[in-house]
Amino acid sequence: MKREAISGKNLSLGYQKGNDKKTILEGLNFSLQSGELTCLLGPNGVGKSTLVKAILGEIKPFKGEITIGGKTNSDFSNAELAKELAVVLTEPILPGNMTVSQLVALGRIPYTNWTGKLNQLDREKVNQALAATKITYLKDERLSEISDGQRQKAMIARALAQDGKVMILDEPTAHLDLVNRYEIMHLLREICVNEEKAILVVTHDLEIALETADQFWLLNCGTPLIAGLPEDLVISGQINELLPGKEFHFDPEKGKIQKTSDLPAWNISGDKNLTYWIQKAFSKKNIGLLDNLIEVKNEPFQILFEGKTFLSLEEFFKFLGSRKS
Amino acid sequence: MKNNRSIFFLSAGLILLIGSFLLNISLGSVAISPIEIVKGIFTGDWVKESTKQIILNYRLPKALVAIFAGFGLSLSGLQMQTFFRNPLAGPFVLGISSGAGLGVAILMLAGTIFGFSSTSDFNTWAIAFAGTIGASLVLVMVSLVAWRIKDSMTLLIVGLMFGSAVSAIISVLSYYSNADSLKLFTVWSMGSLGGLGWSQVWVLLLMIVLGFLPILASVKSYNAMLLGESYAKSMGINPSTIRWFMILSTGLLAGSITAFCGPIAFIGIAVPHLARMVWKTADHRILFPASAVMGSILLLLCDAISQLPGYAQTLPINAVTSLVGAPIVISLVLKKNFSKEF
Repeated sequence: MKREAISGKNLSLGYQKGNDKKTILEGLNFSLQSGELTCLLGPNGVGKSTLVKAILGEIKPFKGEITIGGKTNSDFSNAELAKELAVVLTEPILPGNMTVSQLVALGRIPYTNWTGKLNQLDREKVNQALAATKITYLKDERLSEISDGQRQKAMIARALAQDGKVMILDEPTAHLDLVNRYEIMHLLREICVNEEKAILVVTHDLEIALETADQFWLLNCGTPLIAGLPEDLVISGQINELLPGKEFHFDPEKGKIQKTSDLPAWNISGDKNLTYWIQKAFSKKNIGLLDNLIEVKNEPFQILFEGKTFLSLEEFFKFLGSRKS
Repeated sequence: MKNNRSIFFLSAGLILLIGSFLLNISLGSVAISPIEIVKGIFTGDWVKESTKQIILNYRLPKALVAIFAGFGLSLSGLQMQTFFRNPLAGPFVLGISSGAGLGVAILMLAGTIFGFSSTSDFNTWAIAFAGTIGASLVLVMVSLVAWRIKDSMTLLIVGLMFGSAVSAIISVLSYYSNADSLKLFTVWSMGSLGGLGWSQVWVLLLMIVLGFLPILASVKSYNAMLLGESYAKSMGINPSTIRWFMILSTGLLAGSITAFCGPIAFIGIAVPHLARMVWKTADHRILFPASAVMGSILLLLCDAISQLPGYAQTLPINAVTSLVGAPIVISLVLKKNFSKEF
């Protein structure tokens, strides 16, 4: 059952300083569904953070309205909104003396009394959040003594303990290593499916987003928000909206962004996977057309050229270099 | 487990506090045994009339003022450090001590410059009154700014600037005033816990209790503020409420203490750090009582040292708090990874 968690209609967003209105996004429509992982992609400065701030109620739209669970977001008090949506922001400063479980317990603040004492239900929710993010083993560690990836998972657990229907994460995988990037995005996907939450992730990791997202929102300067299944956007080529200009394009076959260039038609024979990487290396080294056929063999990897055998591309380039001089 | 540890430390702190209290009132130019004091207070049966006078009219009020001041300054410092997320913040960053200083400076110095004051003997009420007026004035100005701006860092800078501007006015007054009144003012600015009568002690207690109430109401919010204003807001905390509570609380606590005792250095900045290091926690439900107990103990002990036991002389309390406290904090900071623990 998909339900609309947040929607925006005909939004006009920006910042106001005195009488000076600066509109950043205009005519924006969107709908965030529960049980879906939505990734918001777009270049720096296009207004992704502005959109997030507007959803959080930090800035008021010039026009249009944002509704959360059918209710306009300006009708929510701070405390009510905290029970609906939780965030993970980019601010990195954290108190090192706090333990992971204390951090996660902060997520229960909207529910506790004035002393902040946790009751049985609160403790259960904290434990569930720790389990869902797979960091139960870290619960007594101090924040100054865990890795960036673990800390980010702890922040996600905190947002999860806040128990809203919506989670918004602003670049949760920035500064993380490759494995952590994949882990965190897959983790978010699991949470989204298992807990029926609507999750919006602002990210620049196109490849990982393609692997994990149910829905893509593409924001670009001057064009309305493009929403759709990631795969649809790839097939229709709309994904290239992310890449203004002709210099780069998205290669649907490899699922990657590539530099657009007219490659010389090198005469290479062999397994397609191998020739792909060889062409890539050739284009980086600016190798022109070669007169003779290049033959590539697998297991063991071999390059046969003008009667000679090379075991790596590096060896081959050395040979080409020596031949030139 | 963790909770038990904190409670153990807090209980130990309370016992230490009672110990320091007895030590403080038994030491001085004449040493009086703690047993004699306890017996005297509870049974009214004093060995000598002079002992009764010394304890009841001089040492007991002074020890209570030390406890109140240590309590209030530490709590103000902790609030400021968490709110501004700055380990260097203290109770006086919003210009409260400079404001009180200005009030007292006008009372003591301006009179001699413009010739409307003939006496150089000011009573404690007049000084406290002048200090309160000055501190409130600066606080009102800072609050007006706080009304307009949303950013806590801007508030911090504005507070510091108000402090500097007010200090500059004090310098000008000092420059033109005569030597006698300048010395009086300098002595005031070194802080003093003594010289207050019982009526002043009760007024101070009332102010401390009033200043403590906003803290009770915002313990949870301070925990949320550890993650920064945006996160706190996302957890349903209203940053402007906590900001007004903080201004109100530190104004009452630090303002009244400065008015009665002069600006007491060091305690407000250092004690919250010591509490974090000893209790190893970031939870304000523990940090507030921990800082309060620790601040009281520290100020009682510093005051005991400043009496120079056995001598009739005393040292200014500011000199002792800094001389005793600074090495403690430096050694702790060097031993542990300070910035990570904040």
